[in-house]
Amino acid sequence: MLTILGIRHHGPGSARSVRAELEKLRPDCVLVEGPPDADALIPLIAQAGMIPPVALLLYLPDDPQKAVYYPFAEFSPEWQAIQYALAHKVPVRFMDWEQKYQLGLDNERGDDEKKGTSNESPQDSPSLISHHFDPFTGIAEAAGYSDGERWWEHFVEQRRGSGEVFTGILELMIALRAESEKLGQIEPRDLVREAAMRTIIRAAQAEGRQNIAIICGAWHAPALVKLDAAKADEKLLKGANKNPGQVASTFVPWTYDRLARRSGYGAGIDSPGWYEHLWQTESHLVETWMVKVAQLMRQEDLGISPAHAIEATRLAETLAALRGRPLPGLPELDEAIQAIFCFGDDAPMRLIREKLIVGQRMGNVPPSAPTVPLQRDITAAQKRTRLEPSASPESLDLDLRKPLLLERSQLLHRLNLLGIPWGKLQTTRGAKGTFHELWQIEWKPEFAVSIIEASLWGNIILEAATNKVTARAAQAADLPGLTPLVESALLADLAESIPPLMARVQNLAAASADLPHLMEALPPLVNVTRYGNVRQTDTALVRHVVDELITRICIGLPAACTALDDDAAQAMFERIKAVHGGIFLLEDSPLPPNRERSSSYLGENRGDGGHAESWLRTLSILAAPQAGHGLTRGLASRLIYDRRADNDTASRMSLALSPGTPAAESAAWVQGFLHSGGQALIHDPALWHLLNDWVLSLPEALFTTLLPLLRRTFSTFPAPERRQIGELAKTGGRSASFTTEIELDPLRVEKALTLVNLILGKG
Amino acid sequence: MTGLLREHAEGQFAAELAELAKTDTRQRPPNWKLSPWAVTTYILGGKLENGFTISPKYIGSRRIIEVAVATLATDRALLLLGVPGTAKSWVSEHLAAAISGDSTLLIQGTAGTAEESIRYGWNYARLLSEGPSEKALVPSPVMVAMRAGKLARLEELTRIPADVQDTLISILSEKTLPIPELESEVQAVKGFNVIATANNRDKGVNELSSALRRRFNTVVLPLPATLDEEVEIVQSRSAALGRALELPAEPPALDEIRRIVTIFRELRAGMTADGKTKLKSPSGTLSTAEAISVVNNGQALAAHFGDGKLRAGDVAAGLVGAVIKDPVQDKIVWQEYLETVAKERKEWKDLYRACKEMLE
Repeated sequence: MLTILGIRHHGPGSARSVRAELEKLRPDCVLVEGPPDADALIPLIAQAGMIPPVALLLYLPDDPQKAVYYPFAEFSPEWQAIQYALAHKVPVRFMDWEQKYQLGLDNERGDDEKKGTSNESPQDSPSLISHHFDPFTGIAEAAGYSDGERWWEHFVEQRRGSGEVFTGILELMIALRAESEKLGQIEPRDLVREAAMRTIIRAAQAEGRQNIAIICGAWHAPALVKLDAAKADEKLLKGANKNPGQVASTFVPWTYDRLARRSGYGAGIDSPGWYEHLWQTESHLVETWMVKVAQLMRQEDLGISPAHAIEATRLAETLAALRGRPLPGLPELDEAIQAIFCFGDDAPMRLIREKLIVGQRMGNVPPSAPTVPLQRDITAAQKRTRLEPSASPESLDLDLRKPLLLERSQLLHRLNLLGIPWGKLQTTRGAKGTFHELWQIEWKPEFAVSIIEASLWGNIILEAATNKVTARAAQAADLPGLTPLVESALLADLAESIPPLMARVQNLAAASADLPHLMEALPPLVNVTRYGNVRQTDTALVRHVVDELITRICIGLPAACTALDDDAAQAMFERIKAVHGGIFLLEDSPLPPNRERSSSYLGENRGDGGHAESWLRTLSILAAPQAGHGLTRGLASRLIYDRRADNDTASRMSLALSPGTPAAESAAWVQGFLHSGGQALIHDPALWHLLNDWVLSLPEALFTTLLPLLRRTFSTFPAPERRQIGELAKTGGRSASFTTEIELDPLRVEKALTLVNLILGKG
Repeated sequence: MTGLLREHAEGQFAAELAELAKTDTRQRPPNWKLSPWAVTTYILGGKLENGFTISPKYIGSRRIIEVAVATLATDRALLLLGVPGTAKSWVSEHLAAAISGDSTLLIQGTAGTAEESIRYGWNYARLLSEGPSEKALVPSPVMVAMRAGKLARLEELTRIPADVQDTLISILSEKTLPIPELESEVQAVKGFNVIATANNRDKGVNELSSALRRRFNTVVLPLPATLDEEVEIVQSRSAALGRALELPAEPPALDEIRRIVTIFRELRAGMTADGKTKLKSPSGTLSTAEAISVVNNGQALAAHFGDGKLRAGDVAAGLVGAVIKDPVQDKIVWQEYLETVAKERKEWKDLYRACKEMLE
């Protein structure tokens, strides 16, 4: 006897019905839709350490990116069927077209399939049929539902008793299949898969099994009823079974979050947590859910009483009645919860969604499961870079201009990002330029566990590190948390993670009202744009973000400097200096060649001196009297003066130091203005004259008043500098070294210039 | 023609209500004029089986209206929340008209609303001459609604002082209103319920006590969901207003309106329409109603000082005024928006320049 149980993958109602049906049937063989390549792993499912959600992973060891995941949750009908079979010592097997042919096929087709193949699996797609054509939509619309999923949810998944549900499903599917066969909308691959399934059923019959239970996606059910066309199947399979690949399989821990669609995982289910609730709760579905929500909200210190749960239950039921549903579904529950628990507010709903509807459960896999592909990839990378793991600490000096050493550095950076701290970076850049890195490496046995944990992120190092960085970027709440991540992503050369990272930086920068954060983020990003040459990373994107950051800083800075106390002014003073340095580093260095020069008609404002101009304009606002703390005003005046941007420095100085100004403010101004020490004064005659002329113009009484202010700053200069300044003052600035013209011999100058050019690297 | 400036909803849409009542065969809660299903249809519009067309009163999510109607059907009080200009009072009026056939049992909440306006007051001349009696009692709209099994409406609940708000607690939970002076009470007849509206920008004015809050189901009326929806609302309203003010200008150009609505929506959402760039949001609400007034203002400028055609220069002043409510923070927001978004859009050059001029 053959019993076909058509299900929806991950459907709790289907799981319940399957379980009940199996108890009734007591089959002597159970066939479950799934890759026969992994038959050997089935016994693992009954082992003690195996806790769903887990995913069965099949991959090509030579090319782990070609992989297929078959996720299972506790409420997956397949999982329940296998559990039943293992508990009752009934033979159980997977039944599908073997993945060794399918993965190889993907290999061949290469570009035909989009890159996401690795994350999609043909089996776990919850929509009942192919994506191209959905006859369920028609049925659902006829029954007054928005889509086929909801209709199925309502009629199959939410049913409590099993009844004759499978007979009904089979009949419905036969009708629907006939319809789409007529339209020629059945995928060729499905036909091959079904032929393979039939072959496996026939094999079981040949073994003498009398009472076979078949658990498969509802869409395939009609194709498995008639088994007589053995010849045709053989022919079809013979044509399709080409180039078998070498497939390895294992179980990996999975999470509800990855089961849910929103994690970008192509095929999945919306609400694993809700399905778990449907699976575990026998009666009073709505009430129990409301109590769960109430308890969650209480944990978060939101005062929710049982009375709320009662009212929410009533509203959900009334809503269901208004919409003609016998039982409230998730939409009704959500709306009732929002109106009553959350007082109409949307924010707590996100919490409920994350913690309850999706859920945060993570699975576990017993240690006896085969090793994960990430482990293999790491071993391969270690071989490739000739960097053997060793338990004794070792030092490495990597010259990043050499390809092998660069690859080593990237490997170490990537592993660090994945939480496998094999190497520790010893020196920070700067002392030895951007092309040297000093590492201390030491392999620890516990990394084996870290690798399994990291394998959740991907099967090869690059992919895993990229995924992890992207996820961490999405979680980062502010810029200071994000900029180091950008830096390490660039160091690890995770090219694909850069666009999302930059988008995140851009978003946070736009929403951040915290100007200091923006200012602190700028200099490291400017530095990053300079790595381009050594590391061959594409920095155009970073450059775009830097451009935006500068624009925002220029707009926001004057307001941020208006009310600062001494400490805040000191901090702002450092930031302004750093930003100033960053902007002119950018403006004075040539544009990277890969940068589009005029992506928009605003080109004039980006790069090419545009930033310098708007920054100097911002500085002149900062330097204006009454624009804020003396320290920042003095600094701004000096920075403008250094660029010779305008001729107002003298008037700024006399305004800032006039007797009407409070003494402390004037002192701060001088401190800001002369921040670079006495040397500048000695070697820049114009600056000297500026200060000197002002001092000379003071009437005697005023000079006596202001003297302490000047003294306060001058006393911080070293004694020899003060002496030199004094000597200058004695001669009225007419020191020989500044004012006398020296007769130069062109020939001798030429010689010196050659050497200077060589030193400057312009030779 | 009645010569009234504005009719009540139940008068203006009497024909629709009558037609709905005629075809409505579904179950009605006690003392409801229509079934919950028919009430939903009345608000959202639709076509009846006999071909009669019901005009939509509220353009927006069906879900929201369903939750509101289901709330009233469970005899829980309904609180409509939303920023100014999201049709809260409008929805409440139509709900009352459709369910009780009477939208006039209304209390306008103000800082000066006293307990008498919610419970009952006295006719003092009578009270003095006859002593406390049923005749000397002046019932509040709530009391009338309790006796008749109708809906009472409370506008701007959060503006009512907190101690007066709490009068509602026993009315909502025990559905009785004691009159100790007469040693009697009023017990609510089935069908009685309360719809309150409140502005969630003013949450801090007189925040509801948690005891009172618990007695309401809260439904938030959102701002228009899509650009097209909002453009349609702004266009039809400003065209109507222009007529009322007898402005000689041409009807406002759709493109200009679309631009204004886009700016409002982007700043409000803190994100550009394509979802690619994040923005800061200004401190004001930037409601649809404000967008309408910007267009209106621009139209008046164009009519009296320009060539009659709405141009970027005409709306710039209004725009700046609407966006910059806080002179420091909002100005940064607006400048950033101009520099990072408006400037990038080629076809917005004129608007960018006009707004830039306003700032300098």
